[in-house]
Amino acid sequence: MAAIILITLAVLATVARVIGLIILSIIAGWFLAYASIKSKFFENIYIILIEIFESVPVITFFPIVLIIFITRIGGPLGVELAADFLVFTAVVWNIWMGEYQAFKTVPREMVEVVENSRFGLFAKLRYLYIPFSVPRITANLFPSISDGFFYITVSEVFEVGVHTYQTFGIGSVLDTFVADGQLFNIEMALLIMGIAIVAIIVVLREFSKYAVGRYTLDTDAPVMKRGRLNIRETARVFAVLSKNPLTRLARYYKYREADKHEETYEKKEKKRKIYKYIYAAIGIIILAAVLYGAVSLITSVKLSEWGVLIGKTPSLLTGLGYDYIRVGTILVISMAIAIFLGYYLAVNRRAEKYWIPIIQSLSAYPAPIYFPFLFILTEPFIFGIFGVFTNELYVLSLGFISTFYYVFYSFWMGVKAMPSEYWEVTRNLKLGYFKKMRKVVIPSTFPYLISGISSTINSAWGGLMIGEYWPDIYGTHSLTVHAGLMKTIDIATATGDIALAAWGSLIFGIIVAVYSVLFTRKMMDLAQKKYVAEEGVYSA
Amino acid sequence: MEAEIKNENVSNSVLEADGIYFSYDNGYDVFENINIRADSGKFIAIIGPSGIGKSTLLRIIGGFLKPDKGIVKLMGKTLHEPTPEVALIHQSIVTFPWMDAQENVMLSMKAKDMSRDEMESKAKEALSRVGLDGFEDLYPKEMSGGMRQRVAIARAFAADPYVFLMDEPFAHLDELTAEGLRQDIYNILFSGETPLKSVIMVSHNLTEVLELADEIYILNNIPATVVGKVEVTMPRPRNPRSDNFNANLDALYSYLTPPRKKK
Ligand SMILES: Nc1ncnc2c1ncn2[C@@H]1O[C@H](COP(=O)(O)OP(=O)(O)O)[C@@H](O)[C@H]1O
Ligand SMILES: [Mg+2]
Repeated sequence: MAAIILITLAVLATVARVIGLIILSIIAGWFLAYASIKSKFFENIYIILIEIFESVPVITFFPIVLIIFITRIGGPLGVELAADFLVFTAVVWNIWMGEYQAFKTVPREMVEVVENSRFGLFAKLRYLYIPFSVPRITANLFPSISDGFFYITVSEVFEVGVHTYQTFGIGSVLDTFVADGQLFNIEMALLIMGIAIVAIIVVLREFSKYAVGRYTLDTDAPVMKRGRLNIRETARVFAVLSKNPLTRLARYYKYREADKHEETYEKKEKKRKIYKYIYAAIGIIILAAVLYGAVSLITSVKLSEWGVLIGKTPSLLTGLGYDYIRVGTILVISMAIAIFLGYYLAVNRRAEKYWIPIIQSLSAYPAPIYFPFLFILTEPFIFGIFGVFTNELYVLSLGFISTFYYVFYSFWMGVKAMPSEYWEVTRNLKLGYFKKMRKVVIPSTFPYLISGISSTINSAWGGLMIGEYWPDIYGTHSLTVHAGLMKTIDIATATGDIALAAWGSLIFGIIVAVYSVLFTRKMMDLAQKKYVAEEGVYSA
Repeated sequence: MEAEIKNENVSNSVLEADGIYFSYDNGYDVFENINIRADSGKFIAIIGPSGIGKSTLLRIIGGFLKPDKGIVKLMGKTLHEPTPEVALIHQSIVTFPWMDAQENVMLSMKAKDMSRDEMESKAKEALSRVGLDGFEDLYPKEMSGGMRQRVAIARAFAADPYVFLMDEPFAHLDELTAEGLRQDIYNILFSGETPLKSVIMVSHNLTEVLELADEIYILNNIPATVVGKVEVTMPRPRNPRSDNFNANLDALYSYLTPPRKKK
C-alpha cells in the first residue's frame, strides 16, 4: 500500500514536472511571440535560435548542461533544475514556434479593433492574441507531452563519474524498484503511469475539441494575413526542422495559405538585399557565439587533453557513421509500417476512431520506462535467434518505438488531406492497391512524408542516446552496442570525461545541423515543386 | 448659446484629410493628393473601383496607416494614431469568436476607465440600438452574418465615437439582410442620442451610396485621386425605384470608367 502511494506521488511529481514546464513554455512563449511581432530585429534572432535548437537533439548536450547546473547551483535544486531543463528543451520549441505563428497570423482587422480601442500590452494579449493562439497550442500539446515524457527516465536519474544524481519522480522511483528487483512494484508503477497518460490524453482530446469549437475563427472571418511569416521561407523551414508532425503540418499548411493571399497590408521591405545581409550577420554572430562557447569549453580542458580529443575524432566520426546507418534502418522500417497502417486508418473511419487515441496514448507513454521490461521478457528468446546481433536489434527497436509515431502521424494526416478528386480518379482508372499507392497516394503525400522523415530522424537520435549504452538495464544485464557516437558520449559522461562528451556533442551538433539545413530543406523544396497538390483539409 | 452654435458653423469640419500621398513599400503608389472633408451631420461616401485604395484611405483617415505626405485632422487636431473617437468598421465582419455578443461590444470600452456595470449597461444599450435586444449571450458562431455585423457596429457605437469609418459594411451580407441594415443604419447613426457627428462610408455599390450619402467622393486613376465630388440633395427617405433616383444613379455611373494609369 505504501508503495502504491509512493508510486502515485512519483507519477504526480513527474506529470507535474512535464505539465508545469509546458505551461511555463506557453506563458513565456506568449511574450516572446509578442516581442517578435513588434520588433523585426528581435524576431530574426528569436527565429534563428529556435531553428538551431530545434534541429539538434538537445539530449546530446545534456551532460554539459548537467555539469553546469550541478557545479554552479548544486544540491537537490541543481539536480531538479537540470532535469527540468532537459524536459523544457524537449517541449519548448514546438510550442514557441506555434505561438509565434499564431500571433503572426492574427488577422489585421482584429488587431485594428484593439488598436482602435487603445489597448495596452496586457489587454491585447488577454483579449486577442492569447485566445487566438489557443487552437495552435492545443495541437502542439500532444507531441510536446510525448516529447516531455520521453526523457523523464534519463532526466530524473543520471550518473556522472562516480556520482548518481536523482530527483523525485516516476523515473527515479522506478529505477530503485528495478535495482531491488521489486517486480510487483514495477508493474504497479507501469500501470499507474499508464493510467495517468491515458487520462491526460483523454482530457487533452476533449480540450482540443472544445478549443477548436470556441477559439477558431468563423469561416467567413477575415482571411487576410498580417503579412508573411518572417525570414525567407520560415514556415517551411521550420516545418522541416520541427520535431513533431502536427505542428510541422500546421506550419506547412500556413505557409501555403499565406502564399495564396497576396493581399497583405504589412509594408513590404524595399531593401531585401540589406535584410539578407542582416540575416547573414545575425547568423554569423550566433554561430560565432556557439563556436566560442564550445571552444572556450574545450580549451578550458587541459592542453594535453586536446591531443587526445583530436586523436579520438576519427573514431567518433566512425561512430557517427554507424549511428546514421541505424537511423536509416529505423527510418525505413518506420516508413514501411507507417505507410500501410496510416493508409489503412485514413480510409477506414471506424478503425480510425479507436486507433488514433490508442496511438496517441502509446506515443505519450515514455518508451524508456517500459523498454527494460520488454527486454527482460524477450531477451532469452531473441538471443536464441539473433545471437550477437541481439543488442543491436534492441537498440533499433527502442529507436523505432520512440520515433514511429511521428512518421505515422505525418503520413496519416497527408492521406487525410488528399483532395477527394484524387480518390475519384483512382476509382475511375480502377487502379490496383500498389499502383494506387505508387502513382497517387505516395506522390500526393510526399511533403508530409518528408516532414515525417525529418522528425523521425530527430527523435531517433534521442532513442539511440538512451539505447546505445544502458548499463544494468535489468539486474546485471547491460544493453550496449559495438560502436556508436551516442555510446561514446554516454560512456564519457558516465565516467566523468566531460571533455570527450562535449567534443562528441559538438561534432554531432554541427553535423546534424548542417545535415538538416542542406538535406531536409532540399527535400522539402523538391517535394513542394514536384508533388504539391492543392491543400485539402487540415484538421489538428 | 446662440453664439456658440454659430461659432461651430464656422469651422464645421469633424474629420479632414489634406493632401494625402501614400505608397506601399513595394513602391506601389496608391494616392496622389487626396482631399476629403467630413462635416458635422454629414454622411460621406467614397466610391471607386475595387483595388483603387478605398480601404487604404480609410485606414489612413483612421490613423492606422501613416501617409507619406499630408495630414489627417480630427476636430482641428492632427491625428497620429488610432483613437476610440474614430471607429473603424471593417469590410470583413470582425467579431471575436471567444466572446459572446455583449463581451464583444464591451471590448471597445475595456481600455476606458469604466466600471464593469457601466460597461455592461452600455453594451446592452448599444446592442438594443442595432436591434439585438435579448441576444447578448449569443456567440458569433451562433449568429448570422447580419447579426455579427450588427455586433461589430454596436461595438463601434459603444466607444462613443465622433466619426464612423465604414469599409463596405454590407459587402458580406446577402441583399435582403443588407437592405434591412442599410435602412436602419442612417436612423441609428443620426438619432442624436450619441456623440456621433459624421460618417465616412466606403463602397462600390452605387445604389447603396445614393441611398445613404449626403456627399459622394469618387476615386479613380492610378495613383488614385478624387476625380469628382457629388452632393446628393434628394430628400429622405430615398426610394431606389424612383425616376429621380435612377437619373442620379446614371450620373454617378459615368464617373466610374476603368482606372487609367497616369505618367
Ligand atoms: N501591403 C500592401 N502592399 C502593397 N500593395 C498593397 C498592399 N495592400 C494593398 N495594396 C494594393 O493597394 C491597392 C489598394 O488596395 P485597397 O485599399 O484594399 O483597395 P480597395 O479597398 O479600394 O479595394 C490595391 O491595388 C492593393 O493591391
Ligand atoms: Mg477594400
